[in-house]
Amino acid sequence: MNLTQQVINGLVLGHAYALVAIGWTLLLGVARLVNFGHGQMYMVGAFVTWWAVAKAGVPYALAVPMAMAVGAVFGLVMQRVMLKATFEQNLVSIMIMTLGFGYVMHGGAALVFGSTGQILETSLSLYEVNMGDLWFTGQDAAIVVATIGLFVGLKWVLDGTRIGRLVRMVAEDPKLAQLAGVNVRRVYYGVFAFEGAAVAFAAGMVAPRTPILTSMGFEEVIMTFVVVVFGGIGSVKGSYFAGLALGLFTALFGALVSPAYTTAAVFLVLIALLVLRPGGLSAGAAGAH
Amino acid sequence: MINTKLRYILLPLVGVAILAAPSVLGGTGTVYSAAVLIAIFAVMAYGLDVIVSDLGEVSLAHTVFFAAGCYTTALLSTRAGLDGWGTLAGTIVVALGLALLIGLVTLRLREFVFSLVTYAVGVVAVTLASNWQFLGGSDGLRGIPPLDLSFAGITLTAGNDQELWPYAFALLAITVYLIDRFRHSRLGAAAIMTHLNPRLATMGGTDPARVRLQVFLFSAPISAAAGWLYAYQRAYVSADVLETYFLILMLTAVVLMGRRQLLGPLAATALILTQEKFFSLGGYVDKIILGSVLVLILGFFPQGLMGLAKPLQGLFRGLRRPAPKPPTTSIGDIK
Amino acid sequence: MSAPVLQVQGLQVAYAGNRALDLAALQVDRGEVVGVVGANGAGKSTLVNALAGWSRGDPRVSGEVTLDGTRIDSWAPHERIRAGLALVPEGRLVFGRMSVEENLSTAFVPPAGPGRRVYSREEIYDLFPHLKERRQHLGSQLSGGERQMLGIGRALMMGPQLLLLDEPSIGLAPMLVSQVLGTMRTLAGQGLSILLVEQNVRAAIEVVDRLVLLERGRVVLEGPAAQMGNDPRIAQAYLGAHV
Repeated sequence: MNLTQQVINGLVLGHAYALVAIGWTLLLGVARLVNFGHGQMYMVGAFVTWWAVAKAGVPYALAVPMAMAVGAVFGLVMQRVMLKATFEQNLVSIMIMTLGFGYVMHGGAALVFGSTGQILETSLSLYEVNMGDLWFTGQDAAIVVATIGLFVGLKWVLDGTRIGRLVRMVAEDPKLAQLAGVNVRRVYYGVFAFEGAAVAFAAGMVAPRTPILTSMGFEEVIMTFVVVVFGGIGSVKGSYFAGLALGLFTALFGALVSPAYTTAAVFLVLIALLVLRPGGLSAGAAGAH
Repeated sequence: MINTKLRYILLPLVGVAILAAPSVLGGTGTVYSAAVLIAIFAVMAYGLDVIVSDLGEVSLAHTVFFAAGCYTTALLSTRAGLDGWGTLAGTIVVALGLALLIGLVTLRLREFVFSLVTYAVGVVAVTLASNWQFLGGSDGLRGIPPLDLSFAGITLTAGNDQELWPYAFALLAITVYLIDRFRHSRLGAAAIMTHLNPRLATMGGTDPARVRLQVFLFSAPISAAAGWLYAYQRAYVSADVLETYFLILMLTAVVLMGRRQLLGPLAATALILTQEKFFSLGGYVDKIILGSVLVLILGFFPQGLMGLAKPLQGLFRGLRRPAPKPPTTSIGDIK
Repeated sequence: MSAPVLQVQGLQVAYAGNRALDLAALQVDRGEVVGVVGANGAGKSTLVNALAGWSRGDPRVSGEVTLDGTRIDSWAPHERIRAGLALVPEGRLVFGRMSVEENLSTAFVPPAGPGRRVYSREEIYDLFPHLKERRQHLGSQLSGGERQMLGIGRALMMGPQLLLLDEPSIGLAPMLVSQVLGTMRTLAGQGLSILLVEQNVRAAIEVVDRLVLLERGRVVLEGPAAQMGNDPRIAQAYLGAHV
């Protein structure tokens, strides 16, 4: 096993994790919504992209935005149904509803796309870069570039624009934001649409790496959750570095110990983190930054 | 008051009616199969009901308890040759052990973190069940013998669903009784208080974390016992007992009728399984229906179906408890 | 005589069958400072919530609230804010993680118009020099008095027709209370209409034109501040507030 190669794999994987997590952590930080349907939204994003490319002949560069649009719509629909529970901060209802949505998406996707595995083929994933013993694909590079681009862009929007300020106000104190004239409902819709679009974007970029199944999505939620525990709720910068750390851990564990049990290992790391610093996920940590 | 007396007459009557129902409804294999499954899944849901309705948390680990019951039963009956009593005892022990482990780890975690951790436990359980040879790997465990609860010379076995039905009914009746007792106990009162106002509960002398753990420990063997019986019903166990289907089924059963309704989960499970068995629109469409029902109930009818039919509530609800008095000393055990 | 800025008629608020507020009529004229006082539980916060359009805990609200001739009782909170009803709430005043400068910004462009003076950030700094000194400090680093100033400043930047102040004196030292309330008089002099909901009756009397006494959700006394000072019922409310 080539250690440097594993590090490269880990870095690519890490960027992928960060990319998958970003919509979720923003949703949690701004609207305090736990979206258990996140994994299924990822799955739908992957399948819509695949269908567009493989069945509808749409070029990949157009297929990804299509998936993002579908994702955003799903996010808007979910928020519309959950609006009352969101305002009441009825976390139990919200969690169960997102589980229900995920299940509906699973059933729907299996109905529409079938239950066999598919491979999302892109020209980028076939393009290989070789540097001596080391290699990575064009897709890998695209993932890294896209992730960095999205994160930098998001941070810029949050810190430097008016919309970003409104989002941060709602994230910190929705009631006070209302008093400052912010249309909080519209912000919630926007953030959920962002979650839908972002996770679909992540799916479009990352799904080409492995076969996709309509039954997938659960491990994505765990990885996302770990990124958030590690990086801090609503923290853009935190999510990035936490993702990288998780990616490196996963790659090295998979290579040194066992690929099948990486999720279990990550879970144990998660438990250790939670037991050692449960305060890291306290209510006060909510926000967007 | 009227409610109490009515209960003592009504519930046994309802019980007899339910016991006789499958034979009244045709007595075919399909009917008995549906009845047994309704009983099993209702019991599974009751375990979760206590956590969601009383404690106010969302535990996604009850699928793991259910699966633990299935697997423990399968392992102990096929590899250790234990009878129904032995496997039941083993199931309860394993469930308690798992619940203790999970409960201690999540002791001080807030609601959604708790739920996410239990979700992760479920996912890890799937990995283990699919890969670990001890648990049969991807093939699962086959050849589970028929249920045998014989003792003291009395033969009590069940080879098919019709024979299994009385045992399933007994398990259901015992579960409903236990839930009712729980809701009348000090632990039950403490759970509600912790749910509604943790700070006030603490000032009443209860430790929310301890209450949470105790309720968790009470609920786990119930869902596990459902798994115990399910293993005998199916005669084989594999990682598919951890499918999301069971989780969504449990959750819908808990919320469909309305919270804290004694017979709510049973009625809801009956409705859902009747649709599935007798009015199915295909596996995937059924999934969409089930998930949509869950979402729509919580989104638009949070009081459940009973909330739409308030006058009927008095008959079916368990005793409406007046505002619980704060426990005077430590939390008692359920009687 | 111009139309009143705020007109409340028949405002009733009930929580689970318990009547928390039963206000037959309340009015604030343009440029007037009206004080609503009463002991704890008299219905002051219920009134503020109802005017702001907040419904915590499923209350049943009925009645008419008219802002500058427009009925706003069915409007969402942020819509009322944009229409010119600026609320400076009790306690919840700053975005702790943002700087003073960022806190002093608006989420919308307030429409200027008759009766709506939109204060610029510089004017806020003139009014409250303390804030100017701390413009880059985070909200969480401000003292109680500074937070109150910040809350008022933000409200002013939204060009309010009516400034609704909810118990500004809570947690403030007496000197700061006089300072804040003194600023109210200055603002009223500049044409701002103010509804001051206050527990500290003595301080309120110094500042307001008219006083309204609430008891168990109803108006029991109402009149010019100068005359109300000697009324025994006010003295009782004053004592009640100091228990």
